[in-house]
Amino acid sequence: MTMAGSSTVRSKRRPDKGAGAEGLYDRELEDLPPVVRWREWMLRVEAVIFASAEPVSRETLARVVGKDCSIDLLIDDLVDELRDRPYELVSVAGGWQHRTRSRFAETIRASSAPTRGGAATLSEFEAMVLMAVGYFQPVTRGELSNVFGREVSRDLIGNLRGAGFIGSGPRSPTPGAPYTYVTTLHFLSAFGMETLQDLPNVDALEDAGLLSKTTTREKDFAVRVDAGEPTFEE
Amino acid sequence: MNSFAPSTPTAPAWSHRVPGWALPRGRDINETDAAFAAGIAMKSLDDLIRADPPWLGCWRDRLALKSAAVAAKMLGRTEEESALLDAVLLTVAGDDPGPAGKLFLATRMLIRRSGPVTTSFVKDIADLSGLRWDDGLASIPDIVDSAIQSGRAAPFAVADLITAISAVRPDAEVLALGLAEAVLAHKLSWPKSVPLLLPERFGPSFRTIGGRGRVRPGEPAYPKAICMALVDGVEAALRSAVEIERRAARLLAVVPKLRTKGAGPVIRRLLNDGAVPASVPGSSLSRWAANRLFERLEGFEAVRELSGRSSFRIFGL
Repeated sequence: MTMAGSSTVRSKRRPDKGAGAEGLYDRELEDLPPVVRWREWMLRVEAVIFASAEPVSRETLARVVGKDCSIDLLIDDLVDELRDRPYELVSVAGGWQHRTRSRFAETIRASSAPTRGGAATLSEFEAMVLMAVGYFQPVTRGELSNVFGREVSRDLIGNLRGAGFIGSGPRSPTPGAPYTYVTTLHFLSAFGMETLQDLPNVDALEDAGLLSKTTTREKDFAVRVDAGEPTFEE
Repeated sequence: MNSFAPSTPTAPAWSHRVPGWALPRGRDINETDAAFAAGIAMKSLDDLIRADPPWLGCWRDRLALKSAAVAAKMLGRTEEESALLDAVLLTVAGDDPGPAGKLFLATRMLIRRSGPVTTSFVKDIADLSGLRWDDGLASIPDIVDSAIQSGRAAPFAVADLITAISAVRPDAEVLALGLAEAVLAHKLSWPKSVPLLLPERFGPSFRTIGGRGRVRPGEPAYPKAICMALVDGVEAALRSAVEIERRAARLLAVVPKLRTKGAGPVIRRLLNDGAVPASVPGSSLSRWAANRLFERLEGFEAVRELSGRSSFRIFGL
């Protein structure tokens, strides 16, 4: 009966956009000469990306620049401008974000300054489980335990979930209807990937014998549970 | 249950297969021969769609599932049709069906929707098939528009479309083939698109003469390959239609024998969707009533259990 409650909690209200403010903001900048206008658009886009807590999507940026402005060209110019800075503009998880260049990772670690990134808090085993979810999704906790040959605890799954790296996917059609887990957009963003296609090639890993979604899955000792049709809500 | 009374047409309003004389003999033919065969094939399918039998939704859904499985293979995933079906049907609303399940959502979106191809539609499909959005993808609605405006015959307009999309984004082949089907439907003024090209992606039509390579968009042989793929696609679609028609007739014949209250919406879903989970979300039936209904239908051999499991059952024609 626990399965009924979860979906109702999740319905979020979409925040109302201030319809009035949209009209007042000058996006087109008609009165400026083209060069100055382009400069202003670049600055605006960079400001938005700098201020944002998460990767900024194309639609968001389109709200602050003119209609016929190519965002890709703006971004190219910005990337160009940041060439000799220790941070860069990267495109992750369907948006853009400011990131410090990876060659300064050691420097930042040595300074032990508190940073925004959450990836550092994962233990080695947690990171491995997360990687397995990335490749095998949708995958249940039981299947993950099979892959690693040791118990993947609920706490660990809870941690990954709490960090926003994984979410729940379809119910697995096995006894008990366990939830499967899938990676989220935040996972892509945190690990600097655009889409799941960017995961290192799974075929190569399988050929190397590093991964196999074990043949002994639950269905081999299928228990007949006839009464247990789960009730789904639309 | 009167609404489901079969109208008993005197003769089938559509032909059950592409006429044998229209099919190309051998694979070593030229573009004109292929275009002729494609034309006859499209007409055969057109007859079926104009006849508008009540089970057309189920038929489209099954073809979409097949496309999704092919799309998964194209992207290097290993999921079979049953895994895709499970992923979509067993996901609670608001959860994420995973990358493979999303492919099925994408192909299903392509067949369930009618109307012009807008930027937001392309964006949805791109998100579902895991494509990075950029200006190249943003230009696709314009490419689609010019394909629709194009004065060429449908198969060639479609080949041009796929070539144009592949030129901007070579990794967007799933999207290109899906949109090609949408353009084809628009050209033939069908209300919704029918998956014909995606299921044939690994078929013989796209193989090169030697049999080793594959014809790629932009190559001179590509329009011919598209024509042949359409012929093969239509043949497969008609085969599937014949089987579904037989099963649908069986289902409609036993409907008067059902005494479950509220069975109507379930029957309608069986005809409109390729697969229905045993709990029938969204219907007024309790899960016991739904179970009994499906068991009775199974007893009449009007539906099949599709997953082969004894729990989490999925039923369909």
